[in-house]
Amino acid sequence: MNRSQHIFGSGLVFAVGLWVAWVSYTQQPAEAFLFPRLIATVFVGLAGWTFGKAVMGLSKVGNGVTRAMFLNMLPGLIITLIYVFWAAKSLGFYTATAIAFFVLLSIYDPDPHTEAKTWVKRGVITAVFLAVMYGLFAMLLNVYTPREILF
Amino acid sequence: MEFIYYFGDVFTPLSFMLLLGGTIGGLILGATPGLSPTMAVALLIPFTFQLEAAQGLILLGAAYTSTVAGGAVSAILLKIPGAPANIATTLDGHTMAKQGQGARALQLSFLASAVGGIFGVLLLIFLTPVLAQWALAFGPSHLFWLAILGVTVIGTLDSASVVKGLLSGCIGLWLATIGFDDIMGAQRFIFHPALGGGINIIAALIGLFAIPQVLTMFAKGRHNTGAEVIEVQRHSILEAFRELFSRTRALSIGTLTGSIIGLIPGVGGQIAGLVAYDQTKKFSSEKDKFGTGHSEGVIAAESANNAMVGPSLVPLLTLSIPGSPTAAVLLGGLLIHGIFPGSDLFDNHPDVAWTFINSMLIGQVLMCIFGLYVAGLAARVAQVPQSVMAAIVLSLSVFGAYSVQGSMGDVYVMACLGIGMFFLERFGFSAAPLVLGLILGPIAEANFIQGGMIADASVGKASYFLTGGLNLFLIAVVLASIAYSVWMELRSRRYTTKEEAQA
Amino acid sequence: MRRMIAGAALGLMSLAGAAAAEEYPERPIMMMVSYGAGGATDFQARIVTMTSGNEDALGMPIAIINKPGAGGRVGWNWFATQADPDGYTLAAYNVPHFIAQSIKGGVEYSTDSFEPIANWGADPAVFVVGADSEFNSMEDVVAFAKENPGKLTVSGAGLFVGHHIAALQIDKAAGTKMAYIPTKGGGAAAMKAVIAGEVLGGINNLSDAFRAQEAGNVKILGVADLERNAFLPDVPTMMEQGLDVDNSSVNFRGVMVPKGTSPEIIEKLSATVPEMFANSRVAKKMEAGGSPMHIMTRDEVIEMWAQRQQTLNELLAGL
Repeated sequence: MNRSQHIFGSGLVFAVGLWVAWVSYTQQPAEAFLFPRLIATVFVGLAGWTFGKAVMGLSKVGNGVTRAMFLNMLPGLIITLIYVFWAAKSLGFYTATAIAFFVLLSIYDPDPHTEAKTWVKRGVITAVFLAVMYGLFAMLLNVYTPREILF
Repeated sequence: MEFIYYFGDVFTPLSFMLLLGGTIGGLILGATPGLSPTMAVALLIPFTFQLEAAQGLILLGAAYTSTVAGGAVSAILLKIPGAPANIATTLDGHTMAKQGQGARALQLSFLASAVGGIFGVLLLIFLTPVLAQWALAFGPSHLFWLAILGVTVIGTLDSASVVKGLLSGCIGLWLATIGFDDIMGAQRFIFHPALGGGINIIAALIGLFAIPQVLTMFAKGRHNTGAEVIEVQRHSILEAFRELFSRTRALSIGTLTGSIIGLIPGVGGQIAGLVAYDQTKKFSSEKDKFGTGHSEGVIAAESANNAMVGPSLVPLLTLSIPGSPTAAVLLGGLLIHGIFPGSDLFDNHPDVAWTFINSMLIGQVLMCIFGLYVAGLAARVAQVPQSVMAAIVLSLSVFGAYSVQGSMGDVYVMACLGIGMFFLERFGFSAAPLVLGLILGPIAEANFIQGGMIADASVGKASYFLTGGLNLFLIAVVLASIAYSVWMELRSRRYTTKEEAQA
Repeated sequence: MRRMIAGAALGLMSLAGAAAAEEYPERPIMMMVSYGAGGATDFQARIVTMTSGNEDALGMPIAIINKPGAGGRVGWNWFATQADPDGYTLAAYNVPHFIAQSIKGGVEYSTDSFEPIANWGADPAVFVVGADSEFNSMEDVVAFAKENPGKLTVSGAGLFVGHHIAALQIDKAAGTKMAYIPTKGGGAAAMKAVIAGEVLGGINNLSDAFRAQEAGNVKILGVADLERNAFLPDVPTMMEQGLDVDNSSVNFRGVMVPKGTSPEIIEKLSATVPEMFANSRVAKKMEAGGSPMHIMTRDEVIEMWAQRQQTLNELLAGL
């Protein structure tokens, strides 16, 4: 389990290294790519070494991702991805944040879902947090975030 | 001793109000992820339009000092370094907070900041003319070697495996080359439009440190066991004082490194904390404790990044050359009032110059008092339930990354780097060396190319980069640093094999 | 029927457009500066927009956002490709920088990508040397450059910005070949190289050089403009020193919007913004900071852009 994960992880880094090297050595103008070439060479060397060690099962550092961890993380990760890559821009920052915040809270809050009190608490926390964010970013710092629907 | 004469000006009611406001506001701005000191000071410039020159500068000076220290708050409590200066603070500071020692970490960080900061401002007061010459002595070849010195730190910084540390550094160096190259203007590795502007360092910092945090909290799942609730220990300020002054080695290494590196135009502020942390670790008798919530780490990092504040203004105040982005913004604040830094400033507007410098001195003290006052309260952040914390940190990261340049691209980059970093961390890579590569890459590259161009037109590359006292000194330090790392690596390997043999 | 609906929709849209322009601006406006905070462009942009919140100006504040990198390419590329043409996203332009860069290629903008609104300043390039340099006039500089081809190191803010254009023009006029060293970090870094003696000379903004001369760090040998500058009445122009260098390298700074912004908004901006620049408080602050002002209306800027495009096409053709 752990060994195959290490192979996968370091293999990915190695692949990125090879791609970087390939791009650096083929793109023009050469002067602008002098430094990337230098970096890419060292990059590939070190990544190759790490990959080799992983293949031989000698990687000791790092615990990998267990199945339980991954399953726990998955809903949060999916919501994060939707929030960052779609909702924030399309729904407006504050709307998207409110929804994402509330949903994440509901998923990971250990309090029982069956009690009305829990839901009120989650709603209040979300509202307070959004008020603070709005006060800090919109009113104090004058940062104009995409608003789209609502505010 | 001229500066004492102008101390009275700091204590007029309006000035003192501004100083207080600037300090408290600066702490809040500094603690907000995504707001670097440079941005915080730039945000305050419009307020100075309405003020007298000296008063405007009091506000800016106070804000500059306290934003740098404020960055430590989010670094310790949320593991989001507000600026590159606070990266080193996360390494031990956040670990301490997780162990319930947030109050202690914050107290130490504010005290160390104040000690370092006051030392730095005193240097600015007494040694400015000497230091100005020193700041100018660093040309492209020296900055190049300095950046390489930073690179040699990479392997040993917060990483269990030297090879993976170096590899993380390489990834950082590569990420830094994305975008337009600064000198030729060629496009490099722009495989998505969001990368057109390169990777913004602040957005990257937020992503690399905060997002893995969030995902780790998610990974723990919904059912928190009782053991997860952290008990925040109270910590008396007096004890923090005592601890700070029993760690004189960390404090003095941090302060000195910060002051010296802060002086160098274009490099200083960003790496002062990391270099000081690394040096302290090398000289410490408790090397193994670094990274596990060791107070020396916090003290060294924070004293260094505040010690850099004073010296970083030397080139600006004497030569009218801003040595750091924040100094550049302060230059704007001076120019708006028709004051030109340089001899003009000290000869014709001594009241402005000295009031400004004094306000930074007093600002350090105020920042420390206020910081100590809130430290106990702020440390309770560690008690916030994981589910709430994860959502807060995620939202703050998105807002913070967006507000850097008002660009969605930075938010995407932040998220991608963060998610990638989470998985890399699971395989033994770490964020600190990666960020160090990201910071040092452009410095090394630009100075190598620029130095090379000057060298080709004059003495040739070899003699330009390899001769001269300062070059040779820096090269010697680089070699010593590498030799030390190798020696430590070999020694620790012998230890582990022995232990394994015994087991 | 279908045509009627289409017509009605079109009418409604233009109506909505007009109404939007009527109320414009109803929220704070953002202005992108493609150089770092504290640089000359950023500093001046902050001053000239400081009164925009006044009722007689736009009635809404303008917030400055910096997108520095690669001599301005990063910011302008973003502005041309990703900025919304809704009137709430303005940008500062620097001519000849962005025109020269668009001629050299590798970027996604040209004069056709932007609509100018108004010009606020003109900062000529000047030739500076360290205070203890043995050069005392452009003649000395040219003589040295002729004797030592490729050995005269001259710093400037980047490739294909005003400073580089001035260096190219001097080379062309004098028949020399200087070693132009672009620095990372803009005019300030280029000036530091001159003061520290890393290079033999430098080309820099008049406003920055004026300050450095006041501080006693540099000597200014020539101004690359048609006339002497009010800030430096004693410094001769390049032409006076026998070098045929015109005002092509003068750094014009002003405000523009992306192509596609509605004509009503452009009209409103180009009527209000020059007056906003002319505010006496703005003029006083600019004067205090040593920054020469030069207000031009939209029509004048359009003409100036076209003219620069032509001269730069010729100058850069041989490279």
